[in-house]
Parts: sequence; C-alpha cells; structure tokens
Amino acid sequence: MNKDVLNQIPADEQPVASKLNSAAEDIQLSPAFQWELETQLMEKYKTKTQPALGWYTKITTAVGWAFAAICVVFLLNWTIRSLVPSISPASGETPTVTISFEGNVRAGNICAGPLAVAHNFSVSLTNQDKTGFVPLDGQKAIGELRSFDWSPNGQLAVVGNTAGNGNIYLVDSADNSLQPLIFNSELGYLMDVAWSQDGKQLLIWSLKDTTSVYLVHVDRTDLLERKFVPQLFSIPQLSPDNRSMVFYGADPIFAGLFELKFDDSQVISISPLVEDENGFAWSPEGSRLAYIEMDRDLGEARLVTMGDKMSVLATLPIPKGSGSSIPDVANLSWSQDGTKVIFDFGRSASDRVIYLAYADGSGFVKVVDSAYAPTISADGRCLAYISNKQVFLLDLTGVSLSSTTSTPLLLADLPAGRAIADFRLDKLQWRP
Amino acid sequence: MTTLMNIQTQYPLMDDAHLAHQARADPEAFAELYRRHVTSVYRYHMAHTGNVKDAEDLTSQTFMAALEGIRSFRGTGSYIAWLMGIASRKRALFFRGNKPQVPLDAALHIPTPSLPTEKIASRRLQRDQILSALQNISHDRAEALILCFFSELSFVEAGVVLGKSEAAVKMLISRGLQDLRTRTSIALEVEYE
Repeated sequence: MNKDVLNQIPADEQPVASKLNSAAEDIQLSPAFQWELETQLMEKYKTKTQPALGWYTKITTAVGWAFAAICVVFLLNWTIRSLVPSISPASGETPTVTISFEGNVRAGNICAGPLAVAHNFSVSLTNQDKTGFVPLDGQKAIGELRSFDWSPNGQLAVVGNTAGNGNIYLVDSADNSLQPLIFNSELGYLMDVAWSQDGKQLLIWSLKDTTSVYLVHVDRTDLLERKFVPQLFSIPQLSPDNRSMVFYGADPIFAGLFELKFDDSQVISISPLVEDENGFAWSPEGSRLAYIEMDRDLGEARLVTMGDKMSVLATLPIPKGSGSSIPDVANLSWSQDGTKVIFDFGRSASDRVIYLAYADGSGFVKVVDSAYAPTISADGRCLAYISNKQVFLLDLTGVSLSSTTSTPLLLADLPAGRAIADFRLDKLQWRP
Repeated sequence: MTTLMNIQTQYPLMDDAHLAHQARADPEAFAELYRRHVTSVYRYHMAHTGNVKDAEDLTSQTFMAALEGIRSFRGTGSYIAWLMGIASRKRALFFRGNKPQVPLDAALHIPTPSLPTEKIASRRLQRDQILSALQNISHDRAEALILCFFSELSFVEAGVVLGKSEAAVKMLISRGLQDLRTRTSIALEVEYE
C-alpha cells in the first residue's frame, strides 16, 4: 500500500482511494510467470555480458592455455624431483609416498561420497573425482529444483516445483536420475523436504498452508497431513523416535523453537529465543538437539545442546536490545560422529563466519571468514563450504582450538543454476 | 529474524540507485531490482490492458528493455521512475499497434485460496469495475492514479514519468479521484458501505 500517497489524499476522497488500493493489491503476479521471466532475464544478462570471441581470439587463448599447462607440468616435475631424496630406499624397505590432501580427495581416499549442492534453483552432485558439479536435471525439464535432503542411509530426496505445483523426487544412485515420489501435487508450492531418522518417511512443507506438514512414506503407502496451531517458518525436523517434530515457527503469543507431539498434538515451546529457521539440528544418534538462542537482553548468541542435560557450547556477542539488527545463524549441523557442531553466522553472504564447536563443551573456533553453508563429510575429514560463489574444502585435521593450519582447496565453482536465488537458499550436504 | 516467508537478500539496505549501478556488472543486483519492482510494473500494465497475457508480455518487454539500457540509467533520479518511463513507452507502443483492449479475463491470479469463492468473485468484480472506470476518465488523470496507486510511485516519481511537477500530479490525482467518485459506479459502492 502506498501510504505516503494515501496520507496526502483529502478525507472525502479516501474511500475511493482505498478502493483503488484494494484493486491494486488484488492484482498478483503468477509465481510461474515471475519465475520464467527472471530466468529469461538472467539468460539474456549472461549473453549480454559475454563478448563474442573471434576465431583469432579463441585460437590465441587455447594456445596460451596449452603453453601454460606445459609450463606447469615441467615446473611440478622439477619441483617433485628436487624435493624427493635421491638416495634409493634400503633394500627390504617399502618406500612411503605422501599423498596430498587434494590427491586423497580426488582419489576418493577421504571425504568419499558425493557432495550435494542446492544453488539458484538447481541441485547438483559432485562428479567422481570431485572436480566439478553435475546438475541432477541437466535438461532443465523441471521448473525448479529448490532443495534436497540426504537420508541417514544415503538416499537423496529432492524437492521441485513446476508451475507452482510441488514434486518430490528420489534420486536413483545408479545413474542419478530423478524418480518421482510425488508429482504435480495439489499440496501447492513445496518449500523443503526432510527425512525421518529411520529413512522411511519424508516430511514435506508447502507454502499453501503454513500450519500443516505432510508425512509421506517412502514406499508411497501413506500420505498423512499434520495440522497444528503455530505457523511454520521452515521445514521441521522429526525426532529420532518419529513421535514428534521440532520446528521454528510462531504461535499467537511468540515465535521460537517448538516441539509438536504427534500422539496428542501438544505443542511445547523449547526456546522463545531462537530466531532463525536453520539454527537447530538433531545429533546423528538422536540424543541431543542443538540450537542457537539470540539473547538480546544479554547481548549474546548461545549455542545450546539439549539432551540429558543442557549445555552451552559457545557464546558470540550480538547487539543488545529488542530493536537492534542482529546477525542470523544458518546451516547448523553435526558431524557424523556427533563430536562437532558447525554453523555460519553473519548478516550477508560476504560477512558470514563459519564456527565449529566441540560437542563435549571444550570450546569453539572460528574456522573460515566470508563463507557459509558449512557441512562436514561422513568421515569427519573435510569441511565443505561456499565462499565467493565457489565451493571449498578444508582439511579438518588441521583445525584445532588453538589454530587453523589447513589451506582451503578449491573444489569447483558453484553451478550456474536456473535463476538467481537468495544466497540463504544455498545448501551443501555430504552424503552420510 | 530471517524466515523463508520473508527472505532478505544480500542487498537489504542498498538503495535502487546503487543497485542499478552495480547491476551493470552484477546479475544478482539486477535480479534484486527485478524482484523489487516486478509487481509495480505488472500492476501498471494490468491496469492499462486488463488482460493477464498482455500484461505479462508488456512486463517482460519492460524488463528486457531495462536490462538493455541499464547503463543509461545515470543514478541521478529515481530508478522506479526510470523503469516506469520504459513501461509507459512500452504501453504506448502496445496501444499504438491498435491491439484491441479486451476485458479482464477470469484467470486473474489471486493467491488467496482460503477466501470463500463468493468473496473472490466479488473482489474480482470490484476490481473489474475499477479498471473499467479508469478507462472512462481522462488519460492524464488515469495515468497518475495508476502510477501512484498500482505502481506505488510517490507524487514526485510519478511527476518524472509524466513530465509534470509534484503539484500538478497531486492535482491530477485529486481530480481523478473526484471523477471516479462522481462519474463511475465506484461512487455507488462507496456510498453503500
């Protein structure tokens, strides 16, 4: 509503002015059109900013790259020869060859299994030697692929939408093809999906009704709607016993972190100080819930774990006062062995910081600046994250409470995707 | 607090002029400008054409032209006024081509599935009446009303698009509202409420 204009309209014209306002507000863009036009614009932007290369330029560039590659090979060869001791190993001794972090990653010796990324309404998986990403829907036959979730047993579920109707796909691990589980559903525009801890059920959240979630059995035998009073702001997480779910939302009194018991539909407030949708996660074994509280009175953000007892693993300063603009927390997750909690914290994509906290309460450490979407590989060796539109890996053996000695390894550029989405929709997750 | 229902972008505090400057080299900045103003442009074209298909087509043309000409926006004035200037020219070209004006179609997208059917129908009818009424008053007055109420421009910004002073726009708005009140069916509805 254009309040500035309305305030300057004489009182006797206000009723007609209000009618005009109502008529204007009733005109809404179809999400499908908005989406399609944004895609067209971005494609046009790309072609507009990419200057056409002539044959001379192309040949010059190719020759230049080839020459550079030859130089690098010679330089590496010379460097390796000069570093390796010239004496041959003693008879009977096996020569030990140290393979670099990068070599181990590319060979699949560490950080095995694909890394999935959701970016710009597209979902991709790393290729075999982890030198790039391969989009799941390379033909772009589906309107958009918005998000995904790995089940604890390594099944990938992807949520997509076509012209406002939601689809849920399971990815066939043999060829990475998308197998529809729910297709063109009447559940409306689907926002996200989450697996149960036993890998048998999927929790689906739609924009059509933010006071409902849907539970679908992976063998398609059951689709159950759960309605409740608080409004959801993000995808909930099922408890380890599947008898409740934890979610960030708001009831008529306050917003915060809630738990809904399925047996009696009772809603319990866990913490009214939780302010972010991706600031909570169950530990892999399901015994602890980690979440971040924003205590504006004390001026601190607290990473809390709730299990047999409550523990504060980390505190970070935030501005005091209810009206203050505070950073947000996102992408909170656990390492597979349950010893570490990782999250990013900041106001924008460029000023975010990744923190790692030890679940035993021994401390926490700032791992990377200007980065977000952290995730730890199943073997606990690699930390993957996004920085400056690229995906990096960090060797976690070089990270301790006292120092970080690892050098980030550039994995690949983020895939282009379909259209530009907010960076907060970016997600990285290793296969468990 | 951030929620997916109310996504903040990485340019939450950047004004349009700076974004437009950045959009020369950064597609995300242009996308942000698009998201900020696409509804205003679409409503402007809907108000003029009364037809979803034509409004979408003109909205598309407007943003394509904005993308082509983003370097010509010097940042000295309002970006939305510059954009609506493009929209206005696209609209003029559209009607110059003698394309027939068709009534509001029934496929207007109203994302309020919880509303009862009768209420939705009633609101559609009301909007239909208002858009028809706008076509029955002078072009300048209707254009000022559409820019300020449908595209949510300020009087000053509307003045830039119309090539008139702020005071002149206020006068057009006032007269336009009077016209709607005294000469059209909106008057009856207002009086009965």
